Amino acid sequence: MPGIAFSNFREHRRLFTGAILAVALGVALMQASLSMMAAVSEARIPAGLSGQARERIRDAYAGAATLLGMTVMLAGFLALFIVGSTFAFTVAQRRRELALLRLAGGSRPQLVVLLLAEAALLGAVGAAAGVLLGVPGTWAQAWLLAAFGFLPGAVAPALNGGIMLASACVGFTVALFGVLAAARRAALVRPLEALRDTGRAARVMTVARWVFGLSSLAFVIWLVAAAQTGRVDVLGALLIAMAVSVVGAVALSLLSPLVVPLVGGLLGLALRRSILGEIAQANLRDAVRRSASTAAPLIVLVSLVVGLMGTLASLGRMGGEEQKRIVAGDLVVDSTGAQASRIAAVPGVAVASPQATVPIAVTVGRRAYRRTYYSGIVAVDPSAYRQTYRRAPRSGSLAALRGRTIAVGPGLSEEGLRRGGVAVARIGGQGVRLRIVAVMAPVLENGADGFLLPRELVPADVMAKAPTRTVIQVMPGTAPSAVAARIRAAGIGTVRSLADWADDEADRQQKGNEAIFAVLVGLGGLYAAVAVVNAVVIAGAERKTEFAVVRLTGMSRPQVVRMALIEAAAVTAIGLLLGLLVAAGALAGIGAAAVRAVGTPLVAVPWELLGLLVPGAFIVTAVASAWSTLSATRVPPVALATARE
Amino acid sequence: MTEGQTIGRAWHAGPAAPAVELREVSREYGRGDAKVRALDGVSIGFPAGSWTAVMGPSGSGKSTLLHCAAGLEKASGGRVLLRGQDITSAPDSALTALRRHTVGFVFQTFNLVGSLTAEQNVALPLKLARRTVSRQAVREVLEAVGLADRLRHRPRELSGGQQQRVAIARAMVTRPAVLFADEPTGALDSASARTVLQLLRTMVDSAGQTIVMVTHDPAAAARADAVVFLSDGRIVDQALRPSAREVADRLARLEG
Repeated sequence: MPGIAFSNFREHRRLFTGAILAVALGVALMQASLSMMAAVSEARIPAGLSGQARERIRDAYAGAATLLGMTVMLAGFLALFIVGSTFAFTVAQRRRELALLRLAGGSRPQLVVLLLAEAALLGAVGAAAGVLLGVPGTWAQAWLLAAFGFLPGAVAPALNGGIMLASACVGFTVALFGVLAAARRAALVRPLEALRDTGRAARVMTVARWVFGLSSLAFVIWLVAAAQTGRVDVLGALLIAMAVSVVGAVALSLLSPLVVPLVGGLLGLALRRSILGEIAQANLRDAVRRSASTAAPLIVLVSLVVGLMGTLASLGRMGGEEQKRIVAGDLVVDSTGAQASRIAAVPGVAVASPQATVPIAVTVGRRAYRRTYYSGIVAVDPSAYRQTYRRAPRSGSLAALRGRTIAVGPGLSEEGLRRGGVAVARIGGQGVRLRIVAVMAPVLENGADGFLLPRELVPADVMAKAPTRTVIQVMPGTAPSAVAARIRAAGIGTVRSLADWADDEADRQQKGNEAIFAVLVGLGGLYAAVAVVNAVVIAGAERKTEFAVVRLTGMSRPQVVRMALIEAAAVTAIGLLLGLLVAAGALAGIGAAAVRAVGTPLVAVPWELLGLLVPGAFIVTAVASAWSTLSATRVPPVALATARE
Repeated sequence: MTEGQTIGRAWHAGPAAPAVELREVSREYGRGDAKVRALDGVSIGFPAGSWTAVMGPSGSGKSTLLHCAAGLEKASGGRVLLRGQDITSAPDSALTALRRHTVGFVFQTFNLVGSLTAEQNVALPLKLARRTVSRQAVREVLEAVGLADRLRHRPRELSGGQQQRVAIARAMVTRPAVLFADEPTGALDSASARTVLQLLRTMVDSAGQTIVMVTHDPAAAARADAVVFLSDGRIVDQALRPSAREVADRLARLEG
């Protein structure tokens, strides 16, 4: 059996190229990401830095590790998906050959073993290539992470034999798992199919596919409906949106053999105007498996990245919108503490609430639960703060924020800290015990203030240097723009209207998300491109005879290519459309949650991403199908139309 | 009850015990209005050590007869016995064992595995049956079909006649009790066809091979020991050692 597997492997190189590439990419990514994770976890934080700087570096490392972890998962999932679909496709293509083995006395278990052996070979070749590719991949990733600002400085990842071995093993295992479903199908091939021209029309929609596809779809529909009800908060809506993106992608790609021809029929109304379009539409409906194999990776890519990115972007916008509602002010000034102290004297300013981010460490909890926070420690003027902050604390009152007291800010309100507890702040080299008098209500914004403490606790020289944000209410009857002009004229920091400030904050958060997504979308796009090109190229080889027949009936070679291009464009459009449908389902829940949270259906559609994705998908499928059609029509048609073997 | 069955029984009562026997076998395809009866109560025995050709117009049920007799298709009614063993409702594992040890196949489209060499193709059934493969034995079989110098060639590097001879070698390497051949000369030029038919004839005469062959070609049928004629799923005529002209005449009568 291994001998036959090897011969098949050599013979069907072209069929397997895409899957090998997917495994190699997966292994390389995994190795690069794991090496980077190891390097990040071993990286020493330089001595002699302030607590704040150390925490920033530690956060950056943690963020990079999260991103790397997501990359590893994505690489594994996509490699499994592509190996699985490649083998499903090759089994469909090699039905006759497999039936022949059954005819020559091969048993069902032997066919399963054969496919597993082929997958093992594929996995081994892919894993070996991946390990080699992983070495420059690691350098590239180290550079990328530093360039995108995920890492504070250069990290030098070392070559690690254990990681290489682990990555190779995962690649190998992914290949074996990917083939299981296909192997089961192969075992059901009947010997008689070797004798028929086409074999029994292979059923694309198997029972398992129906069951999983329909139950996933039902689950998604239930989720989308549930997200519309009032019982789901923003966090719930976020989780639902993510689940809808993932499960919806799986559901529609499982059901794509049903859905693609259906949507193809609708598109057909437009295609039927020309004879090429008419044939293309008929092909689309007839070659269900081919159309579905091309559309499925697009569905997965679009629903995942558009759904997830739209969800995160919407969340950022909601956070901004919420800030506009919570913060009662006309202007926001960013300046130093020294400058901020002059704001109250500017004519037209009714209330100025300075919020200074101070370099003070706050420690809470005891023994194993002890934790020290270095960032998000904000010194406020309690009475001014209360006037400019509309949301009441979850417990306690800011009125009690006097003397040796502290309030847990909105950024840490979910950490389980209670009113009446004790926090120790290191102020001017001394530990000061502070009583927790209030816990603020949580907000949607990321990185909200961690602790609020009264200004009087902080030495004046520290306050003067601290970066300070001042929320300003102007006198009734005074134009905020006039006050803003006066502050600018006085040379006090940067002045923005409250709305501008909230939008800028949301954008800043969004930029962080986008950088993460740029990396993940790039990867996902690469994989989807491999899967689509794979499907198109495999299908192109299968269509030699079909192309020969249409050429014998009078179609020219350029016409054949155009017909294939129309088909490819239609399948791409369908894949994108279905992916967008899933993304829309995910975002619908976010929209409903936004209505409840901030009163407007705030949904951020990632137009820029779509602007890249849509033309990119069309270009990739068009180039791949033009190339495979040209190469499939190189031989004179008569030679092909009559050939059997 | 019909002429076909009498004839079938007559051939059944031939010189030796039947290697394959069909009893009242029928085979239907489709349902309702689309129902087609490809075999209609066929009873026939194929004697061991003889070569029987099955002829008939297109759609007469020749191939279905062959497939049912070889256990590739399940009969809708009746029983199929292979060397006395009832295979009508045998499970897949039993049919797999049957293909390994008892029957061999040769087809119009040679059905060789494109990625394997001639030698590997011939050794394939032995390997699948987990029998020890002696290189010598494989070479002898290929030598017997006149391809000693083509051992390492792949199917696409061989002519049609050569490919068919590799297919015959592959079918014979397990020394099957019955060789089923479906239009073995259908895709060959006349010279290659003659070589292949001579090969089959030699196998019957010198090794006592049982062959059941479906064909369209009167010249091919004339090389067999007996010819059975099928029409609309029933056996309607039979001839022992007929000439090619006789076969053609009878066939013309059926088709007319």
